[in-house]
Amino acid sequence: MDNKRLEQLFLSVQKPGRYSGGEINSVVKDKSKVDVRFAFCFPDTYEIGMSHLGMKILYSQFNAREDIWCERVFAPWIDFEKVMRENNIPLFALESRDPISEFDFIGFTLQYEMSYSNVLNMLDLAGLPLKSKDRKDLSPLVVAGGPCVCNPEPLADFVDIFFFGEGEEVDLELIDLYKEYKKKGASKKEFLIAAARIEGVYVPSLYHTDYNDDGTIKSFYPVENAPKTVKKRIISDLDSVHYPDRFVVPYIEIVHDRAVQEIFRGCIRGCRFCQAGYIYRPVREKSPEVINSQAKAICENTGYDEISISSLSTSDYTKLEPMLCDMLCWTEDKQISLALPSLRIDNFSEELLEKINHVRKSGLTFAPEAGTQRLRDVINKNVTEEEILRTCRTAFEGGYTAVKLYFMLGLPTETDEDLKGIADLGQKIVDEYYSMPNKPKGKAVSVSISVSTFVPKPFTPFEFEPQVCIEEIRRKQEYLKSCIKTRKINFSYHDSSTSFLEAVFAKGDRRLGAVLEEAFKLGCRFDGWDECFQLDKWLEAFKKCNIDPAFYANRERSYEEINPWEHMDCGVTKDFFVSENKKAKSAVTTPNCREKCAGCGATCYKKGVCFEKR
Amino acid sequence: MKFVSHLDMNRFMLRIIRKSSIPVWYTEGFNPHPYITFALPLSLGFESEYEIMDFRVTDDSFSLDEIKERLSSVCPEYIEIFKVAEPEKKTGKIAFAKYKIEFDTENSLFINKIEAFAKKESIIISKKTKKGKLKEMDIAPKIKEISFEHNKMFITLPAGGEDNINPTLLLDAFYEQTDNDYVCADITRLSILDGEMNEFK
Repeated sequence: MDNKRLEQLFLSVQKPGRYSGGEINSVVKDKSKVDVRFAFCFPDTYEIGMSHLGMKILYSQFNAREDIWCERVFAPWIDFEKVMRENNIPLFALESRDPISEFDFIGFTLQYEMSYSNVLNMLDLAGLPLKSKDRKDLSPLVVAGGPCVCNPEPLADFVDIFFFGEGEEVDLELIDLYKEYKKKGASKKEFLIAAARIEGVYVPSLYHTDYNDDGTIKSFYPVENAPKTVKKRIISDLDSVHYPDRFVVPYIEIVHDRAVQEIFRGCIRGCRFCQAGYIYRPVREKSPEVINSQAKAICENTGYDEISISSLSTSDYTKLEPMLCDMLCWTEDKQISLALPSLRIDNFSEELLEKINHVRKSGLTFAPEAGTQRLRDVINKNVTEEEILRTCRTAFEGGYTAVKLYFMLGLPTETDEDLKGIADLGQKIVDEYYSMPNKPKGKAVSVSISVSTFVPKPFTPFEFEPQVCIEEIRRKQEYLKSCIKTRKINFSYHDSSTSFLEAVFAKGDRRLGAVLEEAFKLGCRFDGWDECFQLDKWLEAFKKCNIDPAFYANRERSYEEINPWEHMDCGVTKDFFVSENKKAKSAVTTPNCREKCAGCGATCYKKGVCFEKR
Repeated sequence: MKFVSHLDMNRFMLRIIRKSSIPVWYTEGFNPHPYITFALPLSLGFESEYEIMDFRVTDDSFSLDEIKERLSSVCPEYIEIFKVAEPEKKTGKIAFAKYKIEFDTENSLFINKIEAFAKKESIIISKKTKKGKLKEMDIAPKIKEISFEHNKMFITLPAGGEDNINPTLLLDAFYEQTDNDYVCADITRLSILDGEMNEFK
């Protein structure tokens, strides 16, 4: 298809800027002068994918190498997919507009389970066979990384190679190996066998599963000398690892349209529901000097007027105050606003609030996650009601009048009393505001309570737990709604059926590949979008494949059962998750990594917080 | 750049101004940002060779040439700063815009047909009013100038706040009222003119 015709078609759909490319700082190379072409695919819309930091890091790092050209690919929205199929336009990369089927690598980033149907749809739009075994040639190789790779099994049929852990080093090791094998004209099989020997690389076709009569896994074993377990990769020194000095700056507005500066990886907290809190262990920090100079470069090279600090828990950064001082020095001068998301309630100090006050004032968001102290102890969210109220008071005194609170519903051991606790906590915050003698006149307080449905995830102490069934979740939502008596509290919740599907795929095994393919054929895509999600189609797909989704989502698993993700080693041991699960059941908390080592196993990486002086 | 809407273009130029480090006047509201305005918004899908953007520089020591140089150094190659100058007229004086419409065909018959259509004494189109109602309107008398050259049509139409006729209205009417197959066309705005047909500055 010639460019002119393609551009005419862009104009027939919503937001052509999603597909036209040519943004500032996008990288265009001469394809005859590179050895490896990499199509970096984000299986969601442009606006979401372009907001993702991991993609920016790898795009910049790959393109820093002369022999690699990495381009961006996003899932076309429904309207443009229709146009593409009607006009036989294969999925193309934004920079060159070349079909991605001509590339050496097609790399997906798997950020959430609800994007899996888009992965299949994108392979299909590229004109490639969905299944790994049906793609016979060495290239294109379909590879995938991102947090969902900690349980890659539902995608095992489709993806040739998974990267487990942080990608900066392992991705390039694999690309170098590929160059070598491509040169000597090796077969795909030969390459896959060699690739599996790189630490952090998982080749699903080199593993087999036997099942028990009850459907659980009997054994899982490698062939062709592939390693028995796949060890997660981490970057040991964040100061020296590649970080982009410029981002591609989109023309159309994206979700996070700002500069982003990473400050550390991992989280010391160990909230028991949180997968990110375990799979990114151990905590490793960047130094304030490096953060400051990287942030400055990005702002200068993009023209962004806002920069956001990125980490799992900003206020746990050990050198937060000096870092903010350094940054505010130049951001204020240049009218750049500094955003600090992911603050924790318990160490939210007045000085910190003062610092944020120097920049733009927006709403405050906190995540107590559960309504009663008992349940917060169960999930190891170590914040107390007094801390929450004190923080809200500090915020109110600092001029804030809106507070947003996040909670989860359906947590293990949860009772109606815990749900009522959510409403009570909201009421206490409202009361706290009106008890202030110097509250702003004529301004009402607004407390937003947003409730999501708990999804038990692999590599958490709750990996053994069943998810509460959809009907019971709906009852809990209605009950909580009935507990809220004031209009000062704004209550919102989400339909639980996407959370159900998320639980199935988070804890699923490779038999789900058939369901995924069936659902894709039935037209499922963009499952994370309310306007596209069709639970009935998914249930039809499960039925056709004779698979009960409740087996994965709603079944309690014994500590002895072999989980589908047991060959993936993230450093944190199953023994630790078992002991944490037992502690959760008796509402006993675990101190954070800086208070006391809980012996999770992540010390095996010999880096970061595990070796800090306590 | 033709896929960049007017609002996106505005945001894009804000970033360009930031990158250039030229001291410009900021709005003083809740969310301060450099104050810039485009004299005449460009439709999505159009290219242009004549765009005017207004902004106020707060430091007198910058010469016009220096501003031009600074802006040019941070602009991508497909955005060219032609000139930096003091404004001469208020944007309300904009009266016309001239467009080039290049059809993707070598078929002179097609061009002859569209020429005949465009030169009719009356071309009734239906246009949505601001209230959302469809209103019939004759655009033939509104065409200030029209000429043809191979596969290109040059047309000058009313533009600005008073009366604004988008050239796609003429093309849409042509396809609706004749039985011609759709031919791709690139539309480029060539200039913005005042009531005396002088270039607006």
